[in-house]
Amino acid sequence: MSGHVKNMCPQLTISQAARTLLSLLLVAAIDSVSAGVVCRKQPCGSSLQRSLKLTKLIHKESVDLLKTYKLSQGDMSELFCQMSINNVPDPNISGLDPSERMLSIYSHCKAFLPHLKRVTEQQTDLQPPSCSLLSKLSTAHNRTNGLANQINCIYQTLFPNLPIPPEPVDGPTSVPPSQNVFQQKVYGCVVLKRFKAFLSRVTRELRTLKSQVCTRRITFADTNALF
Amino acid sequence: MFKAWEIFLYPNPALNFFTTVSRTCLVVLYLGFQTVDGSAGLAPPQQVRLDADKETQTLSVTWEDGHASTFDVEILRTELMEMVLNETVGVTEDQSTGKHQWNWTSPVPLECTSLSVKVRSRDGQDVSEWSSQQILPGLDLPDNTDSQMYPEGKTVPVGSNMTFCCIVEEGQQFGSLWYKDTLVKENMLSRRTYATTMTNQGPSNPSGTNVVCSNEKKMIIAGAVVFVGYPPLPSDLVCETHDLTSVDCQWSKGRDTYLFGMTRQTYYTLNGRNCPKARNSNMRCGLEQWDGNWTLVARNLLGEFRLTDAAELGHRVRPVAPVNLTTPEVYSWNASVGWLWKDKGFERLSLICQVCLSGHQTYTGYGLNTVVLKDLQPDEKYSVKVRCGSQKNFWKWGEWSLPLSFQTKMDRSVAPDIWLWMDSDNLGRVLWKPLTKSESHGQISGYEVILWSPEENSQQTLTLPQSVYSLPINVTDLGSKVTVTVTARNPAGVSLPANVVIPRYLPDAEDTAISKVAFNGSGFPLSWVAHANASCGYVVDWYNTSCTQDCNVEWTRVAADNTNTMVQSGNFFAGVRYTFSLYACSSESTVLLERWHGYMQELVPSRTVLRLSPNQEGADVQLTWDQIPLEHQRGFILGYTVYLTNASHLTLLANITDPQLTNHTVRNLVLGSYKFTVKAYTAAGEDGGATVSISLEPYTYWLIMEILVALGTMTCLLIVITIAFTGFSFSIFTILWKTMPGTGLICVCFQGTLDVKPSPHSMVHIVEDSVWDSSKEALVTVPEEDEEGTGDEAADTDEPASLRYYNQVVEEGSSSQRRPHASDSSASSTGSMDSGHTDVTYTGIQTSACYRPQMQSASCPEEPQTGPEEHLQPPVGSFGGYQPQCSWKQDSPEADGDGLDQTCLGSPTSVTSSQFLLPYDTSEEGKEHPSSASTWFHNLLTGKP
Repeated sequence: MSGHVKNMCPQLTISQAARTLLSLLLVAAIDSVSAGVVCRKQPCGSSLQRSLKLTKLIHKESVDLLKTYKLSQGDMSELFCQMSINNVPDPNISGLDPSERMLSIYSHCKAFLPHLKRVTEQQTDLQPPSCSLLSKLSTAHNRTNGLANQINCIYQTLFPNLPIPPEPVDGPTSVPPSQNVFQQKVYGCVVLKRFKAFLSRVTRELRTLKSQVCTRRITFADTNALF
Repeated sequence: MFKAWEIFLYPNPALNFFTTVSRTCLVVLYLGFQTVDGSAGLAPPQQVRLDADKETQTLSVTWEDGHASTFDVEILRTELMEMVLNETVGVTEDQSTGKHQWNWTSPVPLECTSLSVKVRSRDGQDVSEWSSQQILPGLDLPDNTDSQMYPEGKTVPVGSNMTFCCIVEEGQQFGSLWYKDTLVKENMLSRRTYATTMTNQGPSNPSGTNVVCSNEKKMIIAGAVVFVGYPPLPSDLVCETHDLTSVDCQWSKGRDTYLFGMTRQTYYTLNGRNCPKARNSNMRCGLEQWDGNWTLVARNLLGEFRLTDAAELGHRVRPVAPVNLTTPEVYSWNASVGWLWKDKGFERLSLICQVCLSGHQTYTGYGLNTVVLKDLQPDEKYSVKVRCGSQKNFWKWGEWSLPLSFQTKMDRSVAPDIWLWMDSDNLGRVLWKPLTKSESHGQISGYEVILWSPEENSQQTLTLPQSVYSLPINVTDLGSKVTVTVTARNPAGVSLPANVVIPRYLPDAEDTAISKVAFNGSGFPLSWVAHANASCGYVVDWYNTSCTQDCNVEWTRVAADNTNTMVQSGNFFAGVRYTFSLYACSSESTVLLERWHGYMQELVPSRTVLRLSPNQEGADVQLTWDQIPLEHQRGFILGYTVYLTNASHLTLLANITDPQLTNHTVRNLVLGSYKFTVKAYTAAGEDGGATVSISLEPYTYWLIMEILVALGTMTCLLIVITIAFTGFSFSIFTILWKTMPGTGLICVCFQGTLDVKPSPHSMVHIVEDSVWDSSKEALVTVPEEDEEGTGDEAADTDEPASLRYYNQVVEEGSSSQRRPHASDSSASSTGSMDSGHTDVTYTGIQTSACYRPQMQSASCPEEPQTGPEEHLQPPVGSFGGYQPQCSWKQDSPEADGDGLDQTCLGSPTSVTSSQFLLPYDTSEEGKEHPSSASTWFHNLLTGKP
C-alpha cells in the first residue's frame, strides 16, 4: 500500500471562477428580481425567454456539476449513479395542459431544492473547504431557487386565476434520513443525475410553452383588438 | 448452604446431643463426597450475557456463578459453526456486582454474521459444564433482506488492517468485492456474507476509500467508505504579542492527516480554548490575556498531539504597524516623519524602528514616534513606511505601516558641467551637459551664458531656454583670454557659476604628440603625468576623429590629484577612430596636455587604397597609391601588402610596414603583362585590395638604335660591294643567292597603311632561338585573355602568326575600366582598334619564322617565377625576349575569312610581318631615358601628334 493519494477533488481554477462570475453577472438581474418573488409585468415571450436562458445555464452547469461530483467521490464512483435510491424527485414533467406542466416545473424546482441542500451539507462534511464541488452545489441550489420563482411569476401572469398549491403537485419527496457515507455518495450522485435530466426536460418544455402559450395570448389579444 | 443445613438439623432443642453427633457425621460425610467427586464443586457460568459495541467491534461477555478465576470461552459463527475463538481467559469476579466480564474485539464487524458464545469455568484441569450458548445475531438474518456492507465510515490510521464484509440481498448472488479500484479475494462467512481483509492500508482520498460489493450481474449492491489517515502532528508553536496585552500563537500544521470534513478534520485548542479560525494553512490562535505558558492540543479521530510554549511578555513583542504617518516638516534636504500607536503601551516602550526610504534606515528611542530623514534630494518624491520592534529583548520586526508619500522642496541647482569646443582660433561652441534630476533640484527654466575678457574688459551675456545645451561663440573681439561662465536657473534661484577658460585651438598633429590607446573592454584607459597647472583638475574630451563639423563632443572631468581615468561612453562604435584630448584646467587657462587616438574595435578597412597606379621604369614597375580616407580606415593602418596577381592566386611581393609609405617598386621584371594588388591592413586584417595591370613594353630607343646601326652597316657593306665588284655585280648577286639558302628575307605585308587586321590571338608566333639575342631583342606578346593563353598550343603549332602589341594599362580595381569579354577577343580587329585602351596596334614583325614557325611549348614555364626580388617571368601566355611562345590559339572565324591575311601568313617563302620587334632593354641607361625616343616612335606609328 503506497502512501500516494490522488486528489480527486478538483480545485477551483481561475477560469472556472471567471466563468462562474460571468454567469453570475448574466443572471444577476434575474436572481435579484426573483429572490423576493416580486413579479413584474413583462411580456410573455420575454419572461419565458429569460427563464429559458436561465434553465439552459443551470443545465449546462449541472453537466459540469455531475462530472465534478463523480470526480470527487473516489474510485468506482461512476457506478454510484446506477444504484437505486428512493425519495429523489423524478425528473419527468407531468401534466396535460400548459398550466399543469408549468406547475409541474415549479414544483419540481421546489422539490429539488432540499435535496440539493442536503447533498451540499453532506459533501461539506466530506470534502476540503477549497473543493470546487461545494461552490458549484451552492450555485446550483441558488439558481434553481431563482428559476422556481421565475416560473412562479410566469404562472401567475399567464394563469392569474389558477392558484399555486402550497405543496408540490407531484407529492412531497422528503430528504432521506441519516445515511452513512457510502449512501450519501450514492444519494448525491442520483440527485444530481436526475437534476440534470430534469433541467434538460425543462429546457424543452419552456421552448414548447413559449411557442404555445405566448402565441395563443397574442392571437387572443389581437382577436380582442378587432372588436 | 451451611446455614440451611443448620436450620434443617435443629428442629427440636431436646435432641441436642444427638444433633451434635449427627451434625458432625454429616459434615464428615459431606467432606467425604467432596473428596470423591471433585467436579461437583465447579458450577458452569450462569446468566451469560452478550453486549456488542459494533463501532469498536467489541463483544462484552458477562456471567455469574462462576467460582473460578479461569474460564474457557468459545465463539463460533452461528450459521456455519466455524470456530472463531476458543481461548482460556482469566477473569476475576467483580466484587460489587458478583459478575465476571470479558471483552473481545472481533476482527470482523459484528454485523457481518451471527456469533454463538459459550463459557465454562476452569480450575486447572477441572472444568465445569459449558454454559448455555448465547447468540449475538448478525445482520444477515433472513428478516433483514437488504444488501449491506460493514464497517461503514470508519476512520483508521494509515497502515492498519481491516476486514470488510458484504451481506448480499436475499435472492441475489454474490459477485465480487472491490477495494478502491482493485478486485479483492473474498471469504464466505455465512450464506449471505462475504468478507475480505485489507492489510497496511494507505491514506485515503479526501472523500475516503470506497469498498464496494457487486452481485453476479456486476451491479453494485452495497458499499462502504473507510477513511485512512494520520493523527495530527503540529510543530513550532510560537506565541507573541502585538499589543502588549493579548497573545497570538502560531504553529505549523505538520504532516497531512488526509482527513477532511467537519467530522474528521483536526481541531485545535489553546489552553483549553477552541481555535475555530485555525484552518488550512492559517495555523494561528489568540488569547486575550498573556498567560506565559501555552498548550496547544491538536485532535482528530485518530488521536491528539500537544505542543507547549512559554515566554515572558517583554521577550515576545512584535508591534503592530504604526498608523497615521505624517510629515510635519519637509525641507529640501531633510524631512521629519511622525506616526501614532494604536496601543498606548508602545509609547512607554523602548523601540527600534526601521524607516524604508530608498533603503532602510534604523532609529531607536523610547516611545519612538518621530524621526528626521536626512540626505534627501530636493524636489524629489519619496514614499516612506515604518516598522518597529522592541529595542530591549528584540523579538521580531512588526508589520510595515502603510506608505506615506511626500515631496521635498526645491533648491538651487548645481553648476552645469561645461566645456568648450574650438573649431578654429576664434570660433567654437560652449557645451554643457543637461542637468539630471538629482542635479537640477527643480525644473530648470533656462541657462545664462556669459563671455568675458579681463583683457578687453568686455562681457557678453546670453539667456537660453532649458532645452539648449550648446552655444556657438566667436571670440574674435574678446582678446586671447576669454572665460565662459554658465549658470542654470530654476524656481529656487540661480545655480553656482561654471567657468572655463577657452583653450587655444590646436588641431591634430600640431605641437602635441598623439598616442594610441586601446579599448580594454569597458573603456579607454588613459593615464598621464601630473601637470602643475591643473588646479581645478583635468578634462578629457573625445569625438569622432573623422568628424569635421558639428561634432558630438563628450567630456569627463578628472580630479586634480588623479592622473588616470577610464573613458566610458555608450556612444562608442566599432571601426570609428576617436580623438581623446587631455586638458589641464585652472582658473587662468585651459592647456592641452596630450592626445590619443583609439578605436573601440578595429575593423578591416571598408575600402581599398585610392588611385593605385603603376609606372614602368625600365624593368621595374613603381606602384603608387593614395591613403585610404580616415573614415574608411576603420582601424590603424599598419602597412600595405603588395601582391602579384595571377588569376585568383596572389603572390606576396612586399609587406610595407610603414603606413606612411604609399609606393613600392617591383624590380627586375621581364617583359609581359602583370597585375598587382595592393592591400592596406589593420589589426583586424586586410582590405579587399586594389588591383592594377601593366604590360611591360621593350625600349624602342634601343630598337631604333639597332635599326639605324643595321642600316648603316648594310649601307657600308653595299658601298664596299659596289666598289669592289662593280663589274661583276649581277654574277656575284647570283652567287650570293645560291650560296646563302638559309638567309631569311624580310617580307612585310601591309594592310592598307599599317592598319593590318591583327591575328585573333595576338601572340608572338615565331622565335628563332630561345636564347637571348641582342640583335633580336625582346619579343613581347600580350594575350588578351590570360586564362585562355595556355589552351591549344599544339593545335596551333603550324599556324602562321602575326604579332600584335598592346601597350595598355588596365587598372582592374575599377570595373568600369574592364573591357567586356567579347571586346577582349583579338579575333576582331575592329574591337581592337575601337578600344580606347589600345594605344598602338602593330602588325607583327617576323624574321625567319616566315618559313620556320616554331612552337617550343615544352620550354615554356608553367608558372611565372615568383618572389619579390627575383627576376620575374611574366604571367602565363607571355614571355620576354625571344622566348618561344606557348600560348596562342586557333584563329577566329573572322580572321579565317580574311584572304589577304591568309595569303601573307601562309607563304612558306616569304615572311609576312605586321609587327615591329622592339628590343627589351634592361640596362640602366635605357631606364634613365625610357620615353623620349619611344614616345616619338609611338606617335609616328599611331599617327598621333
